[in-house]
Amino acid sequence: MAIYQLQSILDRYADDFLVLEINHLFVSSTLREEIWLLQKKDDEDLLRRIIHAARNYGLDEIGADRDFETYSGGQKAIVACLLVMAAVDRHDIRNLRILLINVLESISGGNRRLLTADLRQLKTSRRIRVFTGGSELVEQMEELA
Amino acid sequence: MKIGGGSYTLSDRNLVLEIEAGFDLSGQRCRYILLGENGSGKTSFLEKILLPALDSHDVDYLYIGQDIRNQLYTLRALLATMGLSVIGAGERELLRVWAAHSPTAKVLIMDEFDKYFSDYEFMFEWTKTVIPLSFVVTHHDEPMRPRYEESTGRVCRVRFEPIGQDGRLKRVRIRQEQPCPC
Repeated sequence: MAIYQLQSILDRYADDFLVLEINHLFVSSTLREEIWLLQKKDDEDLLRRIIHAARNYGLDEIGADRDFETYSGGQKAIVACLLVMAAVDRHDIRNLRILLINVLESISGGNRRLLTADLRQLKTSRRIRVFTGGSELVEQMEELA
Repeated sequence: MKIGGGSYTLSDRNLVLEIEAGFDLSGQRCRYILLGENGSGKTSFLEKILLPALDSHDVDYLYIGQDIRNQLYTLRALLATMGLSVIGAGERELLRVWAAHSPTAKVLIMDEFDKYFSDYEFMFEWTKTVIPLSFVVTHHDEPMRPRYEESTGRVCRVRFEPIGQDGRLKRVRIRQEQPCPC
């Protein structure tokens, strides 16, 4: 199977991984809401950090209250990863394992290289290991070296 | 039947797409490969320009969107209402049955299908006798390049290049790489 069933992924990996799957990146409609749900409070500083980081990816149009549905698929994938990285930094999270399912495959070349480099930094700075689902089978997952 | 060159303002997507050379949709055999950075308007071009053009000329098409995961539920229901037995059918089988039972389709459109199937040539194999024209959005053009140049000599790469910002509107040039045999 190549187009993954979310439930089967969660059954298998949710105990061990923070899972980001391309078709289920967010539970709310905007970045502000997503942060609120994550922390049960608004957080302007975290919002600013994510929006600032997004500019490095050429995403100048990211906004706190912009509906996720108005972003392209690749933009959503980048924002989801930036949110995770910002939250990890904010809460000083360490020793986490993150599994990206079809996320990097949605991102164009230059941004994919940039994001991969940023994710790799997590390993040295926070001992956070990032894995990607293979393009054919989740069993082919690979760790970002 | 053509999508003409010129400027297309998509206000609800905050985009202005400036098409340098038009697209011939008259049915000649061609595969357009749409390439560009995230947010450069590839999917918007499909949804707001290509599909309405096809609809307005009553041209049938197979469209596999980025959210194929959700689309498959609809596809399974659609095929069932056609009296086809798809209980337990896997994803490839669903797509094969759909293609096989779409004899009037003239255009195949796939938006980042390769993030699920890195080698997606099977879709072209299944449809090559009836569908001459295709549009493919991808971020991974190079690995598949020899395959589709072998299967069809008429491949045209189309670049979506941001060229500026007018207030909230992002301006994007849509340029066909040369030589474009289509």
